[in-house]
Amino acid sequence: MSIFEYNGSALIAMVGKNCFAIASDRRLGVQLQTIATDFQRIYKVHDKLFLGLSGLATDAQTLYQRLVFRHKLYQLREERDMKPETFASLVSALLYEKRFGPYFCQPVIAGLGDGDKPFICTMDSIGAKELAKDFVVAGTASESLYGACESMFKPDMEAEELFETVSQALLSSVDRDCLSGWGGHVYVVTPTEIRERILKGRMD
Amino acid sequence: MEPNLNEPHSMGTTIIGVTYNGGVVLGADSRTSTGMYIANRASDKITQLTDNVYICRSGSAADSQIVSDYVRYFLHQHTVQLGQPATVKVAANLVRLISYNNKNMLQTGLIVGGWDKYEGGKIYGIPLGGTLIEQPFAIGGSGSSYLYGFFDQAWREGMTKDEAEQLVVKAVSLAIARDGASGGVVRTVIINSEGVTRNFYPGDTLPLWHEELPPQNSLLDILSAPSPEPMST
Amino acid sequence: MSKAVVDLPPKGGFSFDLCRRNDMLAKKGVNPPSFRKTGTTIVGLIFQDGVILGADTRATEGPIVCDKNCEKIHYMAPNIYCCGAGTAADTEAVTDMVSSQLQLHRYHTGRESRVVTALTLLKRHLFSYQGHVQAALVLGGVDVTGPHLHTIYPHGSTDTLPYATMGSGSLAAMAVFESKYKEGLTRDEGIQLVAEAICSGIFNDLGSGSNVDICVITKGHKDYLRNHLLPNPRTYISEKGYPFPKKIEVLLTKITPLKEKVEIIEAGDAMEE
Repeated sequence: MSIFEYNGSALIAMVGKNCFAIASDRRLGVQLQTIATDFQRIYKVHDKLFLGLSGLATDAQTLYQRLVFRHKLYQLREERDMKPETFASLVSALLYEKRFGPYFCQPVIAGLGDGDKPFICTMDSIGAKELAKDFVVAGTASESLYGACESMFKPDMEAEELFETVSQALLSSVDRDCLSGWGGHVYVVTPTEIRERILKGRMD
Repeated sequence: MEPNLNEPHSMGTTIIGVTYNGGVVLGADSRTSTGMYIANRASDKITQLTDNVYICRSGSAADSQIVSDYVRYFLHQHTVQLGQPATVKVAANLVRLISYNNKNMLQTGLIVGGWDKYEGGKIYGIPLGGTLIEQPFAIGGSGSSYLYGFFDQAWREGMTKDEAEQLVVKAVSLAIARDGASGGVVRTVIINSEGVTRNFYPGDTLPLWHEELPPQNSLLDILSAPSPEPMST
Repeated sequence: MSKAVVDLPPKGGFSFDLCRRNDMLAKKGVNPPSFRKTGTTIVGLIFQDGVILGADTRATEGPIVCDKNCEKIHYMAPNIYCCGAGTAADTEAVTDMVSSQLQLHRYHTGRESRVVTALTLLKRHLFSYQGHVQAALVLGGVDVTGPHLHTIYPHGSTDTLPYATMGSGSLAAMAVFESKYKEGLTRDEGIQLVAEAICSGIFNDLGSGSNVDICVITKGHKDYLRNHLLPNPRTYISEKGYPFPKKIEVLLTKITPLKEKVEIIEAGDAMEE
């Protein structure tokens, strides 16, 4: 068994027109036993920057705490929020520091940068950045998510259409992965508002 | 067959150092391989340490490079402090020191050769553990096992420069013929009171030994050739 | 006071805190994840008046293609670039690290960086990690002493060559070079040969794929030709997209309006004295 399969997860971020969506499943399990069905895998760093952490939940929470700490230090020193690109470099540096004893998580970062330009990015567990223009996925359902997104994505979607596409991609993929599921958690972020929705999914 | 490119880069090698009356001749093949793949077919395994001292490298490419880099650095400092060229003995002793102190980390056998005004041409072998042996001739690398007998027979004291160089080229070409890990071209370096000469012998100019075929441009030439018949059934 | 409890930013080097735990997990049969690799074709050659570097653009994680158009030709200095193969994080980190060291060195000396300086910094780093930092590099550049091309292996050994290939597609690319390379190629011939070598990797090696990136470096000038060739375009895009007739069931919606950020523009010239 791979360590990523211990808790199970599915994560996805997608770019629309001046907006982005980031979504995850809601299951937390210990191998095949489900522990929680309302688990938060996506964290808000600031209003226009979100972070999803797939993989081993204990490492995800530790890593999140360290990242929030570093982000707050940055806010105190610089009196501004971090740009998504900067935050991605911070996550990458923190992960690569543990090159030979990694955190078992694969992060997904999504945010609005300068001029509300959407930015999405994922990494492996030692911080190799992958900057994509369209979508990024992570977690145990990543294989099916790749396929779903590859066919459903189209460029320059408006917020509502983006929400529908991300949700459909997420739910159809987690239905083919027994380690993730139990609905979904979707954030669609536009320059003016954050729309957070909880999706109904299969409960098996 | 999948060649494993993660394998350390190593030089299955033939390296030789020979003294003659007046100086030394160093020789080496040019093959560097990673497992079954030849990563470099024209590498230079005879590296300069100072103006008058060179080193032949064998074993792990990374290890032998780092050792010679350090020794070159120390010798430059030494030359500046001393105000005159470092002797071959000093160079060899530095190689020994590094090889011996780090013998658990290093996989490399080296031959130091050069000329200085005190002792003339000298060859020092520094094999795996970090021993230092002054020798009239030294051979090293995987190809050397094919050469011990040859050198016992062919080496004489007081050879001329040309005799010594011919001996080295012949020996390396013999090893190339029998050792799969050695190949490519033959490079020689001659060091004496006059200075340093580098020579280069391309693979197709080397003598052909037992059952070797002359170089061919196309496989079709071999097939249509009357004899010998490598593909005959 | 003894060591601070919180981890403060200014510290460098690797941290081995989790190694024991991870080893314990590995012994219990919980396997560590595979890292993102660039199972790559990267090449370089010296032509008439400089160096040309080339790379494919596929990044893989095990059998999965995780990036179809990544960048493998990394910036080292204005006159030096470096192709990376191996573990993606390592090639990225090691080239970034050395390129900032080179930048500092340039500030210090006020001169253009040399290729050998980059080479030495890279090989020292890789050697000190004894092959555990898995980066195989093709380093090329033009400096005051002319054009240079080097290959660097993960264990820290280096070669100097007129034409070089690396990565899982290196055999396919080398076959092209061995049969067609000659000294004194023109710029166009060089670009074409590099593109051909990369294509040979793209089509014959499973670890390499997608597009061809090329970087041409000449004295005082460089051209980064990102996606020089696109031999594998997408052919299966549905123009209409998907209408999704049955909408997703939403259990809960929460809309948080964002506070409008007001930008304050200082009137007049308050800062001028």
